Amino acid sequence: MAGVTFSRVRKEFAGFLAVEGLDLTIEEGEFVSLLGPSGCGKTTTLRMLAGLEFPTSGEIRIGDRLVNDVPPGQRDIAMVFQSYALYPHMTVGRNMEYPLKKRGLPKAERKAKVAKAADMLQLTELLDRKPSQLSGGQQQRVALGRALVRDPQVFLLDEPLSNLDAKLRGYMRAELVELHARLGRTMVYVTHDQLEAMTMSNRIAIMLAGDLQQFAPPQEVYRRPANRFVASFIGTPSMNLIDGQLSRSDAGWHFTSPGLTLPVPALRDSAKAGDACLGVRPEHVHLGHGDLQAKVQLVEQTGHENIVVLDVAGGNRLTGRTPSSQVPQMSEAINYRIDSDQVHVFGPGDTGARLNADG
Amino acid sequence: MMRRLLFNLMVWSAVLIVAFPLFWMVVTSLKPQLELWARPPAFLPIEPTVEHYVTLLQDTNFLVYFRNSIFLSTATTLVVIGVATLGAYSLVRFTYRGRESLAMLVLFTYLLPSVVLILPLYLMMVKLGLANTLFSLVLAYTTFALPYALWLLRSFMAGIPEDLESAALVDGASRMGAFRDVIFPQLLPGIISTALFTFILSWNEYLFALVLVNSDASRPLTTGVMNMLISSFNIEWSLLMAASVMMSVPLIIAFAFLQKYLTRGFGAGAVKG
Ligand SMILES: Nc1ncnc2c1ncn2[C@@H]1O[C@H](COP(=O)(O)OP(=O)(O)O)[C@@H](O)[C@H]1O
Ligand SMILES: [Mg+2]
Repeated sequence: MAGVTFSRVRKEFAGFLAVEGLDLTIEEGEFVSLLGPSGCGKTTTLRMLAGLEFPTSGEIRIGDRLVNDVPPGQRDIAMVFQSYALYPHMTVGRNMEYPLKKRGLPKAERKAKVAKAADMLQLTELLDRKPSQLSGGQQQRVALGRALVRDPQVFLLDEPLSNLDAKLRGYMRAELVELHARLGRTMVYVTHDQLEAMTMSNRIAIMLAGDLQQFAPPQEVYRRPANRFVASFIGTPSMNLIDGQLSRSDAGWHFTSPGLTLPVPALRDSAKAGDACLGVRPEHVHLGHGDLQAKVQLVEQTGHENIVVLDVAGGNRLTGRTPSSQVPQMSEAINYRIDSDQVHVFGPGDTGARLNADG
Repeated sequence: MMRRLLFNLMVWSAVLIVAFPLFWMVVTSLKPQLELWARPPAFLPIEPTVEHYVTLLQDTNFLVYFRNSIFLSTATTLVVIGVATLGAYSLVRFTYRGRESLAMLVLFTYLLPSVVLILPLYLMMVKLGLANTLFSLVLAYTTFALPYALWLLRSFMAGIPEDLESAALVDGASRMGAFRDVIFPQLLPGIISTALFTFILSWNEYLFALVLVNSDASRPLTTGVMNMLISSFNIEWSLLMAASVMMSVPLIIAFAFLQKYLTRGFGAGAVKG
């Protein structure tokens, strides 16, 4: 068993900076997601860990071993590709057998391991088919099977579920979590889907433009997002972010924006009056009572709750949630309240740091 | 319905127009000398004979030329495929300065008429001591088959997802191993179509063979047959047609066996990714 360490890893492609000074320590047996929008360097990071791409500078370790110069086949890792990358001319069985063959295992042992992995993933019936004769979900499981047979130190998964339909994706999420629990191996999981990252990971590494924004457990990322970008990226419906001014009086910090004035919780010493951004999760906007007023702009009924968009004076919008029994009318004027203990304050800019004192 | 009929009619006329000379070639080669100039010409030989084939095989150099052509075309195909496959791999998989310009530059060979290239090439062969050898023809044919083969294989190679190779590397294969186990099987249709193209090109080539080689021992079929059957006074039509039939046989066999790959190959090359 082994963890993974990135120390000051940089990757440039012909002058384009894809990954910038990445420091990341993944513990043994941990399930870590690399999360971020498309093009932020997740795949590049994973490919460097796999040995398919070489870091421009910095060090990568698997366990205690420095692997910068170790070829992919000798890193004791397995990888599931977004495109699955099944060998089209080989049957499912041969696909799964290939990594074992390349490691020189005797035939009987190979067959036994393939049979075991196939059994675990319900692929036994499909062993003689070609990949082109399988559905997307089956291909995905074969790709997983090919990674499983070898029992590697570290599993690398690059958006393995992104080509599946929503229902299957939900099912496979649970399967993967179970698999991780059963194998206890380190898993590095790349995704742009915050829900996947939130539901599966021990910790999430959130990246933006090659830069690590925050590395923390899901609840931590949700409750104390390191900056405005993380706050906006995590959670659906996403956090309300309102630009305005921060000011200080004897009573403490206040946030003002057209149509909205709010006391905010204790801030760090580094907080300065001036431009700032207020972050409020929809569940902390309480509708139907309170001393603030707004017009209902939109009501989305999801079944077990309603997502309500409010038109606050001054052009600001606020999203709130109500239980399914409470359905506000469109265009209705409604009273609301913001849980001011639960709001976040971010510095100016797209990646303005969180200023709350509890961070 | 009407349009379908019209379409079929057009296709079949096209097939007939193309196929008739081939049919006439076979028929002529089987006619005895006497029937050759009969008027009106008979569609089918009245007394079919294989005497021209026997003459060709027994009394002429035909077999020597045939062997030369086989050797020449095979060797050229092997060299071209070997170099073009490696070249295509490099052009698609590795990033280096001037990669695109290099690929374009290679096509420049086709801007020069071969007549312009022949004399310098001949002089070079003489200097290298290769004049009048089959090997000089292998080199010459390689120069004009390679660029096209490189481009053809490059587009086939570009259609093979890089992830496949990455997966093989992660699974423990070396670069060579990944190429052999994963890339090569995917590339095979492309390699076969390219090989067939190169083989036909070399098999039918005339001009270079005429200039670079003038000893009977190393003439290929094209120039050999011309040289022996066509003189300023006389054309041995029956023998010429019999020779032509036998020259077509290897190509027909090759096509028959490889057709499956060929159609699949062109399909695969056309759709990227
Ligand atoms: N081989 C390459 N050459 C040049 N640029 C690349 C290469 N691979 C990735 N990039 C660039 O690096 C950035 C990060 O890519 P990637 O790691 O694939 O992002 P993602 O987070 O979507 O997986 C992208 O802007 C991409 O265009
Ligand atoms: Mg990616």
